[in-house]
Amino acid sequence: MTDTLWSLITAPWALQPDTLVGAAVLALLAALLGEMVWRRLCWPRLLGYSVVGTAVALTGGGASGHEPALRLAVDGALALLLFEAGARLNLRWLARNPWLLATSLAEAALAAAAVWLVLRSLAVAPDVAAPLALIAASASPAVLQRVVGEMRAAGQVTERLLALAALNTLYAVLALKLFSAGLLLSDPSTWLNAVSPVLFSFCGSILLGAALGEGLALIARRFDLREDNAMVLLLAAVLLALVIAKTLQLSALLVPLLAGIWLRNRSERPWVWPRHFGSAGGLLMLVLFVAVASAWRFDSLGATLGVAAALVLARTVAKATAVLLLARPSGLGLGQALCLGSALLPMSATAWVMALEFSLHHPAAGAQLMPVLLTCLALLELSAPLVVMASLRAAGEIDVQTRSRNA
Amino acid sequence: MSLDAFAASEAFTLGVELELQIVSRHDYDLTPGAADLLRLTSRRKLAADVKPEITSSMIELSTGICRGHADVIRELLEVRDALVADATKLNLRLCGGGTHAFQDWSHRRIFDTPRFRQVSELYGYLSKQFTVFGQHVHIGCSSPDQALWLLHAMSRFVPHVIALSASSPFVQGTDTGFQSARLNSVFAFPLSGRAPFALTWCEFGVYFEKMRRTGVVESIKDFYWDIRPKPEFGTIEVRVMDTPLTVERAAAIAAYLQCVARWLLLEKPFQPVEDDYLAYTYNRFQACRFGLDGIVVDPQTAEHRPLRDLIAHTLDDIQPHAVELGAQAGLTLLRAALSAPHGTDAAWLRSAQAHEQFLPEVVRQQCLRFEGG
Repeated sequence: MTDTLWSLITAPWALQPDTLVGAAVLALLAALLGEMVWRRLCWPRLLGYSVVGTAVALTGGGASGHEPALRLAVDGALALLLFEAGARLNLRWLARNPWLLATSLAEAALAAAAVWLVLRSLAVAPDVAAPLALIAASASPAVLQRVVGEMRAAGQVTERLLALAALNTLYAVLALKLFSAGLLLSDPSTWLNAVSPVLFSFCGSILLGAALGEGLALIARRFDLREDNAMVLLLAAVLLALVIAKTLQLSALLVPLLAGIWLRNRSERPWVWPRHFGSAGGLLMLVLFVAVASAWRFDSLGATLGVAAALVLARTVAKATAVLLLARPSGLGLGQALCLGSALLPMSATAWVMALEFSLHHPAAGAQLMPVLLTCLALLELSAPLVVMASLRAAGEIDVQTRSRNA
Repeated sequence: MSLDAFAASEAFTLGVELELQIVSRHDYDLTPGAADLLRLTSRRKLAADVKPEITSSMIELSTGICRGHADVIRELLEVRDALVADATKLNLRLCGGGTHAFQDWSHRRIFDTPRFRQVSELYGYLSKQFTVFGQHVHIGCSSPDQALWLLHAMSRFVPHVIALSASSPFVQGTDTGFQSARLNSVFAFPLSGRAPFALTWCEFGVYFEKMRRTGVVESIKDFYWDIRPKPEFGTIEVRVMDTPLTVERAAAIAAYLQCVARWLLLEKPFQPVEDDYLAYTYNRFQACRFGLDGIVVDPQTAEHRPLRDLIAHTLDDIQPHAVELGAQAGLTLLRAALSAPHGTDAAWLRSAQAHEQFLPEVVRQQCLRFEGG
């Protein structure tokens, strides 16, 4: 910690995201560009943030995911977004419309299977292809929520998009954890030592998630969540849970997601709070999107571009196919299904953090999968939010007056 | 377009239209779901009809031509159950109530059809503020002159049905103090209020032609009167009611109007005159503001009386007609409402909010009530 602080003083002008001046300048640029993109083009601000991140990546000074301060901000932002994603997921809806649950399972499974087959056919090693396939099952709740929120999208496609993203992220995180545990347990040299941490991590994440959800319900019951002070309380509770999760080596993704799901589904009472926890959350979001967009490496682009493009293509086709096939029984029009299928495109922060967590336990496989994943993220960084926006607009779920209101 | 010929219909038949709120199960705010709901409902065969309304978070259902309370309640229950089932599939919920308790009208979207776009362009923010939900009741009339006579005779009962249906105490997150705040939005429209005093179709045609020549109106649809003739159906349409929280209440109010119409036409207890309208807007205000506790004025005798008593009195007057029309079940429900502590829907909503202190939760309970749960 003192080292980090010291480096802020000794190298104040080093333009890296993890120095204070670097962070301040980048935040300034990102906020300005985000606003410009929003006002001129009526595109979501996160595109501006991502452009700044991409520029940092091009200079070679991007985030590695191991900078302590930055990682804290990223995990914090992601925790808030995942908590919100979970809190949008109404499990009773899945019970009442089982075809929606079927759609969710099918799109996630089909995407993973398609990516696995394509990667294997491109001679990617199984222990690299498998985690990539599992990660590819998820769609970024961060990007989706951000685009939906800024464009004020509302309607059936939007509703399902958020539900599917929360679910496939849940599947992906759980499956990757199982896979990672499986690797550790199947190795005779590590399995005995691995059993208890694996079990601890699983049960601990679920318990902490439920405890956080219950705690937040208590706060929500007694305070008016539309007020700033209650919001700070909520924010602090989520961050505290995150710190506990990190200390106990639980999943920083699973805990907030489960907490949100728990809060939404423990009773039918509605909960309403300002999107992304107001302005404090807004700053964290900005840092998150700049950091993620800066994570890829220009020098590994050439070697990984083919594989990454194949992965993205297979994933997109698989997800869209599943959604289209089950559209009618689940009560969706074909046009809407097409919009929903294509809007599931984004891969972003969750995928990055999943890969980082996986690499921590499996450094060898991690070193191979990371460049491919980061190139995928680079491909989708700027294109996916635009596709989401276009899809929601095509579905008629973005108010036509959004533009004129902001002009 | 000139005035349509009046298509006479069988006297005392009735039809009910209800505008319903479509809310999100997430935050219980209004949400655009009309198109999705209509797509699912169109796969069903229902006696009642389901249509889009001006904003996409509103849906209108209307019964076919009914003979009495039993028909109405059967059709309403059938279409309600169907809509609720379809809404469930879409993670939507439906409820009654004349206003949404906390919606922000600037967020509402106008349904994408040429007529609605045109209305929206003309009225600007009024058309969005007009995101209010009403019940309309059609009463069949055998001739146009009978329709106009009934229209004006019915004007005295406008405060009754306002008070009985009142279910819009909250607007944009605050308690307005009104039992029916919805009508305040309706009054903002230039062509709202009472119909001109014309007792024959010929006289009415002259008035309509003069108005049409001014270019202010094109068809009878452009008048937002409290009661208006509907020539193509051969009915008069009473439009002052809030959508009640339950279909049972909606059917009971329709039955009340049907019985009053039969009583008026068969017994002719009084003749409508222009002076009936002297205290009309005052009485209507009393009903909107105070509901059953409103004090209304008899323009002839200048007598002031509580609406609660007047309604109880009318219920006695129409009793024989209720027997003829098979409307007793409906009227019993209304009689009970007169004496119950939270007898009106507005009072029920206020007590729910007093208990919960959280309007989204009130809307959720409103949905439960509409669903019959």
